[in-house]
Amino acid sequence: MSLDTDRRQDAPEELRLDGIMKGYLGVQALKGVSLSVKRGGIHALAGQNGAGKSTLVKILSGAEIPDGGDIYLGGELQKFREPSDAQKAGIHTIYQELSLVPSLSVAENIFLGELPKKVGTVVNWQTMAAEARKALARVGFDLDVRRAVSTFSVAEQQAVELAKALHKDARVLLLDEPTSTLPLPDVDRLFTVLRSLAAQGVTLLYISHRMDELYSLCDSVTVLRDGRNAASISIADSTPADVVTAMVGKSLEGSIADAALRGERSPRLGSGRRDKMLMSVAALGENERVSDVSFDLYEGEVLGISGLIGSGQSELAGLLAGARHKAQGHIRFDGKDVVFHNPRDAIRRGIGLLPQDRKAHGFIPDMGVAGNITLASMPMFSRLSVINRRRENKVATDLVARLGMKVSSINQPMKTLSGGTQQKGILARWLARSSRLLICDEPTRGVDVGAKEDMYELIRDFARAGGTVIISSSEITEAMMCDRVLVMARGKVVAEFDHDAIDPHGHALVSRFA
Amino acid sequence: MSQNTFTAAPPPIESKPTLTPTNRSRVVGIAKRLLPKSYLILVLVAIIIIGYYVSADFLTIRNAENVIAAASIVAVLAVGQFFVILTGGIDLSVGSTMAMSTVIIALTLQTGLNAGASAAFTLGCCAFAGLINGVLVVWLRIPPFIATLAMMSAIKGFSYVIQSTSLIQIFNQDFISAFSRGSALFVRNPVLIFVIVAIIAALVAKFTTFGRSLYAIGGNPEAARLSGLPVARNLLITYTLSGLLAGLAGLIAAAQLQQGSSLIGVGYELDAIAAVVVGGASLMGGKGDPVSAVIGVFVLATIINVMNLVGISSEPQLLIKGAVIIVAVFLSSAGGVQRISNSFSSRFGRSAVSARA
Repeated sequence: MSLDTDRRQDAPEELRLDGIMKGYLGVQALKGVSLSVKRGGIHALAGQNGAGKSTLVKILSGAEIPDGGDIYLGGELQKFREPSDAQKAGIHTIYQELSLVPSLSVAENIFLGELPKKVGTVVNWQTMAAEARKALARVGFDLDVRRAVSTFSVAEQQAVELAKALHKDARVLLLDEPTSTLPLPDVDRLFTVLRSLAAQGVTLLYISHRMDELYSLCDSVTVLRDGRNAASISIADSTPADVVTAMVGKSLEGSIADAALRGERSPRLGSGRRDKMLMSVAALGENERVSDVSFDLYEGEVLGISGLIGSGQSELAGLLAGARHKAQGHIRFDGKDVVFHNPRDAIRRGIGLLPQDRKAHGFIPDMGVAGNITLASMPMFSRLSVINRRRENKVATDLVARLGMKVSSINQPMKTLSGGTQQKGILARWLARSSRLLICDEPTRGVDVGAKEDMYELIRDFARAGGTVIISSSEITEAMMCDRVLVMARGKVVAEFDHDAIDPHGHALVSRFA
Repeated sequence: MSQNTFTAAPPPIESKPTLTPTNRSRVVGIAKRLLPKSYLILVLVAIIIIGYYVSADFLTIRNAENVIAAASIVAVLAVGQFFVILTGGIDLSVGSTMAMSTVIIALTLQTGLNAGASAAFTLGCCAFAGLINGVLVVWLRIPPFIATLAMMSAIKGFSYVIQSTSLIQIFNQDFISAFSRGSALFVRNPVLIFVIVAIIAALVAKFTTFGRSLYAIGGNPEAARLSGLPVARNLLITYTLSGLLAGLAGLIAAAQLQQGSSLIGVGYELDAIAAVVVGGASLMGGKGDPVSAVIGVFVLATIINVMNLVGISSEPQLLIKGAVIIVAVFLSSAGGVQRISNSFSSRFGRSAVSARA
């Protein structure tokens, strides 16, 4: 290992980014990102969602053109106009979702777009098969290259994708969360392959949320936050907590949390009362995503479920709201044993979910604000299933005003609203139904700062009025506002903190993340 | 891109008082809001005006009756099809179900059962066929296109088997009068039937929890599920409804032709689908309204009628019909009206800026 590292330190610089900038309509995704990787190095790219990782990957793979900054490959300035430019230069990207053609053979996929020909246009199958086998051998796999890609496992398909990149003389490989769909033994095998590729002089840029992976595979890491470099860390001289701290940062300025920490306002969103139990969860599990989760929840409480993205907190939220099916465990709600077969069962008991992916799961895009608000409570103002429009509009108008939603009319299509207003609309849906428990999955994702504050205020008002809230969040500041925080890692609850037990910077929480 | 700029957050309430709309911009604003909805009627009026100029026989009561009689069958089908398409599905089996309806009614009338009971039995059978579609889609999770394609074939085979001869004549005058010849309040019964169906459908779509939830299911099925709407139940009802209305259309057809045959209704499902999309519904679901679908039927039927009157033979008719469908769908569901009005407004905007400069 140490020999390896020495060699890498002597190696010349292979990839350098200088002040890369990229803005989309109104959002500056990258505000000058720089990084440098030596030839044969395995460099990690880490950051929260929205930190700019995916934008950077798009720029490096030629899918997006940067507004400013330079890309150097082997010391030469590169200008990528489209993905084929990046590939010609030797930068290949392995995406989370594999981009192979499932019905074609392994060999055809590896040679896609440049099938070897003999006499005119006849494909030379022998050459192709032999070359394909050779490329696969480089990644340590021996597959029947004439079989269709779809007949192989995910790990094998990934090997085909790697072989394809190597066959095209990849100098730099971008790996965007390559392990997210892999079973554990295959992850080890992939890492062995990646290490051997690095030893052969291929430079790897590895993107992952999982700290254990970064620390077993990579030799250095660049952490992005809010489109900027937050830190450059050498893996050998650091701990996962250092990376996580750099990722989550301490951008508390001006937030409720900030005010709270300076003693200006009550730091808690919830009442912190523990007199009446609302929900009791025992040994809840769903395959490996969530396992053996138990906790009690009290009326008026705001419970945080925190952890790095993909630690199971989002799945847990789905289980509690009936959106997913539990495999093990029991839920008691309001003194009764309950089983949620679907969201309807949970909604009937007074549970409302604010889903993480608003656009995909949250609202009906072409339906008006009023229709979206009353979606879960239509029976309450209809008789014989005929909707009383006057009452419906009144309920919607009141909620729009109460939540300070910026709309031109209550019939404005939901898709034309800003992220924050949409989120308030979904909250309004559950308020219209007088829900007792709100389960908020990443409630402020993709929401601007002002609306974020509003959301906190609304959650606080809801809890003050006796409502109960679960906030599933990978944002540390958000978790710190809760009465109590459960920390999840790899599907399990690994720690529980009372609000007062958390230090002002949240180090206690973060230390349990990895 | 242009669509993005159109949907980019309209001004919030607070900024409203600061706007001082001139008369012209107010007119433009109203026109913008009405245009996508009323353009269909404008198209229909345009076709009628053209018809008036090209053929003396066009604007006669007799011709109007012909057009409406032909259109009433497709109109009833289109209403059922509209609800299915609203949920993001499609029902290819309605033509076959309609044929089955004519066969079953003819057979039951043959047994000597009275018209009312025969019609009820027939409608029940057709609703059941629709329910099977729903079960295939909801419980067996077969994509609607495939499920109803298979049912289209199966229902057709079934009607052929039960009819056993090439066609069965209908002699029951009560039935023929109720669904074809008879009239009430000076309106022929088939017309009355489709008008009532369309009105009920419009009310259901706009004012009931069922209608609202269909818009939600078509617009975003996962959000509908997470909001606790009974998605499976409503889809079953929708496909059953489509089968029922196909049965009703079959009764009208049987009464008009005075026979039942498995060969009736070939291609009607495509006419119904075309009418629904001409009426502004999106095949992705969540958009449109049943009355527009019915107007869509009349747009297509009137064009065919005008072409018949001026003696265009049937092959060029198909060509023109295809072109009309494409133009109409571009204007409505593909956002053509919006795109055209956007390009206009951006041009207006630019000229306003240059005028100031």
